[in-house]
Amino acid sequence: MLKIWRINGNSMSPEIQEGDFVVIYHIPFLKRFNLGDRIIFRHPIYGVLIKTIKQIDWENKLFWVAGESPHSLNSQKIGPIEAKQIFGKVIWHIHPN
Amino acid sequence: MFYQVLAQLDNMVHFPRAQAHCDVPCGIYDPITAQIAALTVVRMVDLIKDIEGKEPLSKSDYHNSLSRYITVKEEHAEKAKHEIRVIWGDYFKAQHLEKFPQTNELVHKIMELGSKARQTTDRKIAEQFVEAINEFAQIFWETKGIQTKRAKAPYAPALELVYPIL
Repeated sequence: MLKIWRINGNSMSPEIQEGDFVVIYHIPFLKRFNLGDRIIFRHPIYGVLIKTIKQIDWENKLFWVAGESPHSLNSQKIGPIEAKQIFGKVIWHIHPN
Repeated sequence: MFYQVLAQLDNMVHFPRAQAHCDVPCGIYDPITAQIAALTVVRMVDLIKDIEGKEPLSKSDYHNSLSRYITVKEEHAEKAKHEIRVIWGDYFKAQHLEKFPQTNELVHKIMELGSKARQTTDRKIAEQFVEAINEFAQIFWETKGIQTKRAKAPYAPALELVYPIL
């Protein structure tokens, strides 16, 4: 299943910027993610976020994520993400130029 | 083109939003911090030169003042370099660099001048540091479509700075 999202904020800059669109790929019950995948997920405090997977705890199936900009919220602040929180991973990024 | 189609579609169907949160408010960039820091470097060079022949200053007062000026010069040269790196790294995008292809070379020049300004008390080097950052400021404001003017800073060392016309 494919879904289009629009990006607010610049924590994924310079690759993904404010106002860009991304297409995410999502198949319920088949959530396979790898290091470096850009994912959209629901965070209990910060809402729906887009970040990059930086570390994976395979044993507990937890994902540690962060943005690309040095100003991004860091992994420690965001905390571990479970697969059930993830809407999908970015497979296409559309920017103005 | 596909982006424009999506943008028009977005006006109608309003796609969901994903937040790319930052720790600090993003989008707030202004080269004036770097310009003032570079100006401070010139001011410290002047103060260092001034204190050389100043009498009567006790040895301890002389060393105390001199070390303070040097410390501030070091800090502000580094601060100016840091501010430029942040704007260049976080604000400047590919389209800006295409439009102003001299930017990368200019930033590198600023880094070099900032280091030289720390190493010496050569006023010419410090002035070149200010001027290179002025050039950067002019490019920065042009990327935003904002006109600039040159005016003398209303404080010593009263060198010309580039200001946006807002």
